[in-house]
Amino acid sequence: MDTPIKVAESKTVVKQASRTHKKLKNALTIGAFVAPAIIIYAVYVLFPIISTLMYSFYKWDGMGVGVFIGLQNYVDLFKDAIFWRALTNNTWVVLTSVFAQIPLGLIMALMLFAPIKGIKFFSSVYFFPFLMSTVAIGLLWVLMFDPINGIINSIINLFGVENISWLSETNTALFAVLLVIVWQFAPFYMILFKAAIVGIPDELYEAAEIDGANPFQKFFHITLPLLMPTIVSSSILAIVGSLKAFDIFYIMTGGGPNHGTELLGTYMFKQAFINFNMGYASAIAFVMFFLALAVTIIIQVMDHLRKKKGAYGV
Amino acid sequence: MKKLLSVFTIMAVLLLTACGLNGGGSTEQAASDSGKTESNGGKKTLEFWHIDPGEREKVYEEAVARFEEKHPDVEVKMLQIPNDAYKQKLSVAMSGNKAPDVFHSWGGGWLKNFVDQGKVYDITETTDKSHFNELALNNATYDGKVYGVPLGLSMDVVFYNKEIFDKYGLTPPKTYDEWLSVIDTLKENNIIPIALANQTKWPGAYYFMNFASRIAGPELFESAFNREGRGFDDPGYVEAGKYIQDLVKRDAFNPGFNGVPYDEGQGRQLLYTGQAAMMDMTISFVNNVREEAPEFEEKLDFFLFPTIPGGKGDQTHVGANTGPVWSVAQNSKNPDLAAELVNELASTETAQNYTDRTGALTGVKDIVPADEFTKRFYDVLEQATHLQMPYDQTLPPELAELHKDTTQAIFGLDMTPEEAAQKMEEKAKEVLK
Repeated sequence: MDTPIKVAESKTVVKQASRTHKKLKNALTIGAFVAPAIIIYAVYVLFPIISTLMYSFYKWDGMGVGVFIGLQNYVDLFKDAIFWRALTNNTWVVLTSVFAQIPLGLIMALMLFAPIKGIKFFSSVYFFPFLMSTVAIGLLWVLMFDPINGIINSIINLFGVENISWLSETNTALFAVLLVIVWQFAPFYMILFKAAIVGIPDELYEAAEIDGANPFQKFFHITLPLLMPTIVSSSILAIVGSLKAFDIFYIMTGGGPNHGTELLGTYMFKQAFINFNMGYASAIAFVMFFLALAVTIIIQVMDHLRKKKGAYGV
Repeated sequence: MKKLLSVFTIMAVLLLTACGLNGGGSTEQAASDSGKTESNGGKKTLEFWHIDPGEREKVYEEAVARFEEKHPDVEVKMLQIPNDAYKQKLSVAMSGNKAPDVFHSWGGGWLKNFVDQGKVYDITETTDKSHFNELALNNATYDGKVYGVPLGLSMDVVFYNKEIFDKYGLTPPKTYDEWLSVIDTLKENNIIPIALANQTKWPGAYYFMNFASRIAGPELFESAFNREGRGFDDPGYVEAGKYIQDLVKRDAFNPGFNGVPYDEGQGRQLLYTGQAAMMDMTISFVNNVREEAPEFEEKLDFFLFPTIPGGKGDQTHVGANTGPVWSVAQNSKNPDLAAELVNELASTETAQNYTDRTGALTGVKDIVPADEFTKRFYDVLEQATHLQMPYDQTLPPELAELHKDTTQAIFGLDMTPEEAAQKMEEKAKEVLK
């Protein structure tokens, strides 16, 4: 009487054993395939993040052994007027990127689909700025902004405006560099939008046309909603890119004059490699990281909620 | 999960920049590790780092060849590292006790930083002090011990365009008042009196240092730096700032100078084209002229920074800087050989070649330049009673940077001289002890 049950029991045991064995094997296979990526990720991403955080608790000149000072670097940082100035400037870069670069990129992309003769040619012309190296762009614009012999001043002279010392005054320098940033990066968003617009099915436009929609209605009810995912990812790229902005500012103004164009990035560089305050610089780096992370999470959550609402089912 | 992944991806991209600062160092350290003082086929090896390309490098190569001839059992490995990368690279090597046996520096506060950490070998015994210009050698002597010998020496003077001065009947000014009348005349004739490219901040700092030295005498800096009574908020410094702002308000400089970088040459261009008439600069400017606008050299002349009425400084107080200064690292396995190499790199023969072939001055005594123009700089140095090394090379890095920042702000009228002086003194109290 007992035997059938026993057999059944032993069968399930065998089954279970083989199942766990299979699971283990699966895990091993998955692990082996994922390992290279995980290792690279850990060595080049996680480890630096953690060590940056560690350094930020030390007073350390980059040589020898640092002194543990707890949160003192952060206390000093939040009292540092230059830090707040840099943060304000970074905010301006973010705002310009989101509200000038992205709309401009969208307009340029839409123009490329307009029935204008020779527009193909402009597609290349628009893209040129993005192909040039930042150092070359920086030097080019420094020469164009030259207060005496620069071409920009020659142009505004034609309209009766007096010479402006673009990069030399604290109140114009930021504007001048932002102009260059928009010029340089708008083409990048143009390409993203161009690709996204190509992906919108023609049938939608045809249906709208039959219903008697005008071009504006077509844009606001078809193109824009379907571009939303691209706009969201562009915004993330723009915001995170702006928070880390460094190169063009470093070349064009070096953060000057009188910290007028100082960014978190340039200030971190100065503290690390000119003043040799590695600990303090690490604190700045960590704040930058934290801000970018926070902003990214907020955008992702907002996008998630938008999708949940089922807006246009994308 | 997908979202989390994208968040992490963005984190990754972000942190790569932020953390470049940790990654860079270790690889360089590893690189300098290899081939260091290992015997090479029974030969001893000395490693030698410098920053100069071109003719200067050839002069060093010849000195090294002479040294190797005397020591057939020694091989010298020369490495030229571009200026900008050099400071960081040497710092990293020093911190890992992997520094080259013989290395370049500029003396002053930067070298002292390493001396204080016990990273530099004391070469007092092997150095013949009478061989060098005393004031130049002092820049690498701390507490009476010599840690480096100056091969190169430079100074700053006010260059001017002779042709323009002749045209308007102007003579090189000796006092500030004379200078002002020169400036006024030039302005009336629509010529920019002084060309300044101050984006990089150090060109403007020369005016500040010169004014301070002329007003309060060169002792002021010594006293403030060594914390011997006077400070960086001394009335002398405030006054120097006021003189600068006076010049700025008179439109003595080209408009927008704080946004013009020096290296790109727009400032020099103003001089070459005759749009501007004067510029305070180190004598390396002569080299720029020979390279960029050789035809301008015949119009080029110079005068010394004018004196200030009632000031304590005079024209024998010269703004100068040393470099290259040769030193031996404490971690060298053959410090005596290295010290001998240092002596060869600053020998009479090397110094004569250095002066004649690169148009620079040298910290070695009694080396008369063959070149007419360089000879005149030499005469100025011979008569100098004090050499003022640039603040930004003497002060600790953080204070040096603040000095340049505040000076640029004074030039831009963004900060009052009092405010700037106060900021300097606050930081000095914190950094200089």
